[in-house]
Amino acid sequence: MSEAIVRLESINKWFGKLHVLRNVNLEIFPREVLVLIGPSGSGKSTLLRTINMLEEPTEGRVFFEGQELTDIHTNLNAARTRMGMVFQSFNLFPHRTVTGNITLALEKVLGLKGEEAQQRALEQLKHVGLADKAGAWPSQLSGGQQQRVAIARALAMHPVVMLFDEVTSALDPELVNEVLLVMQRLAAEGMTMVVVTHEMGFAREVGTRLIFMDQGVILEEGPPREVFANPRQERTKSFLSQIL
Amino acid sequence: MTITAAPQAPPERGIRYFAAQQTPWSWVTLGIGILALVVLFAGTVAILNAYGWTQVCPPDAPQGTCAPTDPLTEGLLSPELGALAWAVIGIGAVAGLLALLRARIVPNKQAKEAAIAGAVIGIQAAVLAGVLLWFRSAGVELFARNFLNIRLLGDFFPRFVNGAKNTLILSFLGGGLGMILGLFLALFSMSKRPVVRAPARIYINFFRGTPLIWQLSFAGLGVVTAMKLDFFSGIDGPYRVAVAVLALNLAAYSAEVYRAGIQSLERGQMEAARSLGLSYLQAMRFVVVPQAIRRVIPPLTNEFVILIKDTSLVVVLGLAFSQKELLGVGREIYSSTFNATAWLGSAAGYLIITLPMIRLVTYLERKLRSGLTSVVG
Repeated sequence: MSEAIVRLESINKWFGKLHVLRNVNLEIFPREVLVLIGPSGSGKSTLLRTINMLEEPTEGRVFFEGQELTDIHTNLNAARTRMGMVFQSFNLFPHRTVTGNITLALEKVLGLKGEEAQQRALEQLKHVGLADKAGAWPSQLSGGQQQRVAIARALAMHPVVMLFDEVTSALDPELVNEVLLVMQRLAAEGMTMVVVTHEMGFAREVGTRLIFMDQGVILEEGPPREVFANPRQERTKSFLSQIL
Repeated sequence: MTITAAPQAPPERGIRYFAAQQTPWSWVTLGIGILALVVLFAGTVAILNAYGWTQVCPPDAPQGTCAPTDPLTEGLLSPELGALAWAVIGIGAVAGLLALLRARIVPNKQAKEAAIAGAVIGIQAAVLAGVLLWFRSAGVELFARNFLNIRLLGDFFPRFVNGAKNTLILSFLGGGLGMILGLFLALFSMSKRPVVRAPARIYINFFRGTPLIWQLSFAGLGVVTAMKLDFFSGIDGPYRVAVAVLALNLAAYSAEVYRAGIQSLERGQMEAARSLGLSYLQAMRFVVVPQAIRRVIPPLTNEFVILIKDTSLVVVLGLAFSQKELLGVGREIYSSTFNATAWLGSAAGYLIITLPMIRLVTYLERKLRSGLTSVVG
């Protein structure tokens, strides 16, 4: 395998007295679809958020494309433009149109001209099947559409890795699939993805590697089908038996 | 199983439906209640008009024999007005009694509401008439002479207009500068760095913790009189100090409003912006502040209404004649004429300015709240 895009070295994270991440090591390689599962409070979202430093690890080092993000001399903003993130609650900017949501960072961060940014926004909207909503306001869209706009917004920066933080958890059941389909196609196109999810079907079908976390520790790791079929840890077994 | 068809149209509402539901009794009760109120107001105005409000005293009238408000006093004390007040109390009582007697046998909710409305209006009219009778029993003559000399307001009208102009200048200059400064204070006060946060907090707490009248007095004496700073000296000195202190004061209050607005935004907005590579300042400028400002427009307008009234405190600065605002004008007229009717002129001036602003706040709150639900939902 080629060199890792992301490398986490002995990450520890405390929230006050709560030890959320305990000495976590992780490498993410190109074209991987890494799925993080685990009970709530297991630290999987926190782990995902340390990758783009939305959570600063209390101890440990984060590397992205060979650059140490935990080094205070690193330009985090520049690094973040190459990592897309999609949130559970969409977090679209309600005061900007769908296109405005996408062009903001293109113009202000990448310095694209208005025309060029619009073009790129439209391209990405087509990609997620929402070209007809370019001028709409986020509040006029369904949850599934909002989440697809959020994906388009992240993709427009042309990132090398996409981080998905329980992106279907806030959606009505009938809207989950449209978002998962977009993610599935993205995976098929070879995008490197880290996905925190409770969608076990997606984990099994699309994931290339599965990580089970509990209490801030990576308990089990392997190809999704194998882990689902033969969990080695008791904790993994009981977790999977409860949700499958 | 049969399912009854859903109604094709929503149930009727509106004034026509309301009228159709009334019974003769409910009409009569409502009518009598309204009659009481109309008789009270129209009758009082008619009687006072008949006697006249003010008169012009001949310059050679001996001291104490003629007051400009004598006709008004006469009207207020007239037997006609007394009879009118008692009549209104009677009519109001009838409306109340009717409602009381018939309340249990009205056929529907609309008729009941109309009867209750009639009774309430009637009783309100009766209470007002009682107050009028009580007022007549006291020193009407002296009160009218000192507080109800309407002619005075006409004479000094241009002065009041000038006062209103100054009130507006002080409000808009102080308010505008204060709201800009307040936004920066709010951003500083939310910094994660104590060295940035602390001075902002100290500033805000100081200006919110001391009375505005103290701040104005101190600035007037300390800055204008003692220090004689260039910008704050001379004839315009006190006026400039007034604007500056009002701005500094409003900055502290508006900073707290901005802070509440910014903190009411979900953290995800900042996180989404940062995850796209925007710097903290860019995220604030393009994502957080534009949304927060929309949310704080109603409370900020509210602060502005408070500021309009607080401009009256600049009287402690001793502004020049043409710089006086509404309260200052009223005080000045009072001290030159020894007639307190001028105070009423000031109050009227403030109301003319503030009432539309208060309406605006209500309107903005309703409009922006509906906008907000679509933002959240």
